[in-house]
Amino acid sequence: MNFPEFICAHSPIRYGMVLRSVSLPGIGTKYELKTDKGDTIAVFFMKTGNIQVYTLPKECQAQCVAELSMSEARRLGSILTGAVMDVDQESVEIAFSALSDLRISMQTYIIPKNLVGHSLEETRIRAKTGVTIIAISRKQRNVINPPPSFLFESGDVALVIGETDQLRSFEREFIGE
Amino acid sequence: MEGIVLALLVCLVLACVTKYLGVPSIPFYIIAGIALGKSGLNLVSADSTSQFFTDLGLIFLLFFMGLELNPSRIIENRTQFLRSGLIDLNVNLFIGFIAAYIFGFTLTESLVVGVAFFVSSTAMTLTSLIENRKLMMHESETIVWMMVFEDLVLIIALAFLARGDSNPLFLFLKVILMFLFFAIIGKYGKGIIKGILKRDDDLPVLFTFSAVLAIAFFSQSIGVPDTLMVIAFGAALAASNATAFEVHAKPFKDVFLVIFFVFFGISVDLSGGISIIAAVVISVLALASKFISGLIIGLRIHGRIMSGIEIGVNTIGRGEFSIALATIFGSAAVSTMIAVVVITTSIIGAFLARYSDVIKAKCMEIS
Repeated sequence: MNFPEFICAHSPIRYGMVLRSVSLPGIGTKYELKTDKGDTIAVFFMKTGNIQVYTLPKECQAQCVAELSMSEARRLGSILTGAVMDVDQESVEIAFSALSDLRISMQTYIIPKNLVGHSLEETRIRAKTGVTIIAISRKQRNVINPPPSFLFESGDVALVIGETDQLRSFEREFIGE
Repeated sequence: MEGIVLALLVCLVLACVTKYLGVPSIPFYIIAGIALGKSGLNLVSADSTSQFFTDLGLIFLLFFMGLELNPSRIIENRTQFLRSGLIDLNVNLFIGFIAAYIFGFTLTESLVVGVAFFVSSTAMTLTSLIENRKLMMHESETIVWMMVFEDLVLIIALAFLARGDSNPLFLFLKVILMFLFFAIIGKYGKGIIKGILKRDDDLPVLFTFSAVLAIAFFSQSIGVPDTLMVIAFGAALAASNATAFEVHAKPFKDVFLVIFFVFFGISVDLSGGISIIAAVVISVLALASKFISGLIIGLRIHGRIMSGIEIGVNTIGRGEFSIALATIFGSAAVSTMIAVVVITTSIIGAFLARYSDVIKAKCMEIS
């Protein structure tokens, strides 16, 4: 529940905006931010665990409010910081806008029969397609960063990371779609 | 025992209904208590078991209040805190005191009614600010600090009520010493306390419960009322481990406080109390006094009548602390009077706070 560090990381001085944080007894912590264009945004981390976000446009009397749960607030936060999580059924694309629009896709695949019994090294997946298998989910157990000697079993689910193109090439080569 | 179960079940139903309707539950617990108790159906009466639970309710309420009293934060905000708080105190204490005195109460009784007039319900006020989504208003900060000021005045009132034969100054000195003692433990034992409270087994809850109870019990041996002692304990922990204690003490507070409210209602004796006319007059005065203090604070601090209306309607509801005062003071007539004030102001206050925009718009039209 320690959000102050997270917020203070965006130094108010650097961006020229006015950020005020107040702790309100019984309510929680309030962060009020005045943008360069004169709009006001207030965020309340409440003791109830929820978060209320108020926006008050410049020269406007009526404020708008949204109440978010902790997980919703995290999602909103990651959108605002630029790490957009575009969640598909089984694939996620993360874009880091600050790093010259670096985009990384991750997707899960069920390991096909022809790979079962082979080690990660033998299959030469990375050499052939450029993707990396960063985790294997096997029944109740997860293996993060499987070693080259790792043997696939039937029913394994692999989490594969790479560019979208590389993932497509992995699908053609190994999954056979 | 079956009385407590019956009362709790009624309160459970009421809690569901009031949560669904978005209205404060405290007045309905008291009404339920009146209906079940000696002024109503006479189904439930207080016994030693219920007394123990209501004591726990009071102790946890005040421990919680202490946890919100962070001395350094108060000092940081002293200007705003004192300006609004003193207006609030003067207007409401004066109106409540005069009204009670005219109705024939003694000086001490009138003072208790005056303080009960003054202390708004922190729980209801904060909930209404959150539920009605008014936290962003500038007035909200003023209101929140008014609640803290009221807490401090309540502590002084409690000290005077409970002092018995001892000198109030001597009592305060003892409380401050205890506060410093707890604060030192809180500071140097922070790591150990944090370690205990962070665990995910039964230890944190057991620790919180027994620490609060032990301190309430221990207070008797040094001649300090348990009410003041648990506030001092809470306030001393406010700077170090407030959040963790709040999390673990909340379930106890939630349950025991409901029992506290319903048994307060059960103990209210309407027959020997006040006439209907007196009840109406006192309710109107209780509504008016907060409205007046709100208007003055709004004009003085925010420079706007509209701010004053907002502050007034949001602080009208009296609740847990007024009842705590009545319980500790223990006079039947005062309890009845305060019960009336709490029931009317909390219900009407909740509606006024919800529709404050409409009220403000109407006032704009008139002016």
